[in-house]
Parts: sequence; C-alpha cells; structure tokens
Amino acid sequence: MVDFHNRLTLAQLDADGALEEALVAATGSTRTQFLRSAALGSAALLTGLSDSATASPGPRQDTAILNYALAFEYLQAGFYTEAESLGTIRAMDAERERWARTLGAHERAHVRILKDVLGRRAAARPFFDYRGITEDPTTFTRTAVAMEDLTVALLGGQAPRVANQGLRSAFFSLLTVEARHATWARRIVGVAPVAEAFDSPKTIAQVDRVIRSTRFRVSRPKSEGRGSPRFTG
Amino acid sequence: MIEIVLDGGSRRHVLLGGLVVGAALAGLLTALGRPAAAQAPSPEQDERILNFLLNLEYLQSAFYAEADSPGTLDGELAAFARVVGKHEQRHVERLKRLLGDGANPAPELDLEDVTSDEDAFLEAAIVLEETGASAYIGQAPNLTVEGVTAVAPLVSVEARHAAWILAIAGRNPAPAPADPAATVAGVQSAFERAGLVPPSG
Repeated sequence: MVDFHNRLTLAQLDADGALEEALVAATGSTRTQFLRSAALGSAALLTGLSDSATASPGPRQDTAILNYALAFEYLQAGFYTEAESLGTIRAMDAERERWARTLGAHERAHVRILKDVLGRRAAARPFFDYRGITEDPTTFTRTAVAMEDLTVALLGGQAPRVANQGLRSAFFSLLTVEARHATWARRIVGVAPVAEAFDSPKTIAQVDRVIRSTRFRVSRPKSEGRGSPRFTG
Repeated sequence: MIEIVLDGGSRRHVLLGGLVVGAALAGLLTALGRPAAAQAPSPEQDERILNFLLNLEYLQSAFYAEADSPGTLDGELAAFARVVGKHEQRHVERLKRLLGDGANPAPELDLEDVTSDEDAFLEAAIVLEETGASAYIGQAPNLTVEGVTAVAPLVSVEARHAAWILAIAGRNPAPAPADPAATVAGVQSAFERAGLVPPSG
C-alpha cells in the first residue's frame, strides 16, 4: 500500500544522500569527495551555460536554454536506454517494466523534439557514465524518481526565461510529461505521488549542482564494451 | 469575444474578451519559428487568464469538497480526493492572492451527479485534471513573463494529479511524450461533455 503521508522530495533525497548512497555503492566515492568535485568550477556541467551568463532574454538565450534542456534529456534517455540494454528493466515486475520502457521512449522523443527545434544549433551529445546504477533495479528506480523531479524543477524554472512565446507552451508540454513520469515513479516506489501543492522551480546553477554530485557526466566515452554487464570497477 | 461559463448557470458569465483561442497551441516542431501570440501579453490579459484559471481551480476544488462526503470513496481513491482537494484549494488561494481585488468570486456549482459514486468520480476527476493541465499549457504563450512565472509551479502539479488518477484507474499515467494544449473553448466543451458544467447553449 502506498504511504501517502511519506513525503519524498528531491531536497530530501539530496539531504538523505540517496543519490550519493547509490553512487558510493557503485563507485566508492565519499560525500567529501563529491562535494569537493562539486566545488570545482562554476560553469554549468552539461553545456557551459550558467544563468548569469545568459541573463538577457532573446533568441540566443532561448538557444542556450534549449541546449541545456537537450543535454538533460540526453542524460535521461541514456539512463533508461542503458538500463534497457543491460536487461535491468526486463527483470522488473510488469508495472515497473511498463513504466521504465514508457519513460525511456518519452525521453528519447524529447531528445528528438529538442534537436528538431534547435536544428543546426543543437549541441553535441555529452558523454555519460551512470556508474553501475542502471544495473540495479532498486537504485535505478530511486535515481529515476530524483531525476524526473529534477527535470520538473529545471523546466519549470526555465519556461519563464524563454523569450519565444510558442516555446513557452512547448516547455510546459514537456514539463507536464516529466511531472507525470515523476508521479508514476513515486507511486511505484511507494512514496506520496504528489507531495506538494506547488512544484519548486530550480535555476540552472541549482540543477547543475545536483548533476555534478552524480558524476554522471564524463569528458569522454566510458567504455567500448556495449552490452557488457559491468560499467564500473 | 469568448464566453466561458464555469459557474453552473447564467448567474455570472466570465468574459474573456481578446483571448486568442486558435493561437494557444504551439507546434513543438515549429516552436522557434512561430510568431508571437496574436494578442501580445499584457498585465490586463494576465488578469483575464488568471481569472479563467481561477475558475478552473474553483471547479476542481469544489468537486473534491463535494466528493469528500463519507462512504462514496475509499482506499487510494479517497486519499487522492483528500490530497488533491487540498492542493486545489491552495491553488485557488494563490491565484486569488495574485489577482487581489480583480479576483472572481467563487461560483455556485452543482457537482452532485459527477460525485455520486466511484465510477462517476473517477471519470470526472480524469477530465478535470487532464483538462486542467492542458488549460495551463494553452495559456503559456498568452501570459507575460510574470504570468508564466506565477503559473509554472501549478501546471506541473495538475499533471501530477492527472498521472495519479490515471494510475489508480489502471490507465497509462503518461500517454504521450508531449502533453496537448487546450483552448478556452476546448476547456469549456470538455467540461460540458463530462457534465461538470451545464451546456452553454
């Protein structure tokens, strides 16, 4: 039975170190280590974009925001795709499998949509290393909850910064889908499906701090052995 | 001039003059090249839109308050009605605060039929939450930056409600990679079809 009074928010996940817990299990890195790495540099991890560097609304800022959203969708799409190719999703129960496959398909569609919108302005796909989290159904699902809630915070924060009015509507259309993903995931893991009356938008700097803490973003491809069960170690 | 009736009759009609119905949906693929909404955003237009959204929240809030009578719902459905009802009430309060003196008063609504049993409640709740999310999406291009900032924390919560009720109903909580936008007229007719508001004639 779902416990509707158990409120699990992204902030709590962070505070409890759930993401980090999974990371420690996967990589052996400690909180101190990842905080130190988080303190390095101020440019946004995914694209080199920061809120202050793109302070004036207009087509250039729209492109920068779209590219940040694209990098984030790449991060998500890669996460589900890897779990699928490793067989992690196939091993889950029917509802979780349907959930994970649907989310993977949606995040890949979001990548295609944003790439189409950006055209030649689309930034290249970043490299990711999910550090073994996609191999374990439990850490995979918990991390997915945190990532979906984080995307809601990202898109909710960026929609008002988009100058193009049509794009604002498009951002809302994606934002609401990420919110559905998050609620579906929360119900599956047994926490409050809708914890708050209002979602709390985050700045790119805030989102980036979380991404940085995961160390999912790497500077070069992690391995050649596609399909091999071990990604870390 | 678009007329929307969310108050259960002819007592009060909410006039949304100047809201551009056809311009609300932005094609995702052509979003960058799309011209701005035909009617440029302005504080006056924000007020009309926020009042439209306030009416929607009044309807949602009243629906869950009506459904809260003991015996109709139990289990997860009862929890849903309780939790979501509180959220909608807080949405009403926030929109009223934003609108200040310009806020519409709460309409009188007749929601007895749509909350009479579990099946009726479930179907009506799905329409309310799905249409709610789409109504917000549809107004995104018509709002000022301040307006979009104000409603962004609400639109995703409407979608969360929709996903939750769909999951309870055993349906796909996230049926598409991008959610549809609804025009004011679309919202009105969806609510009419669901028996949530009387036909406007």
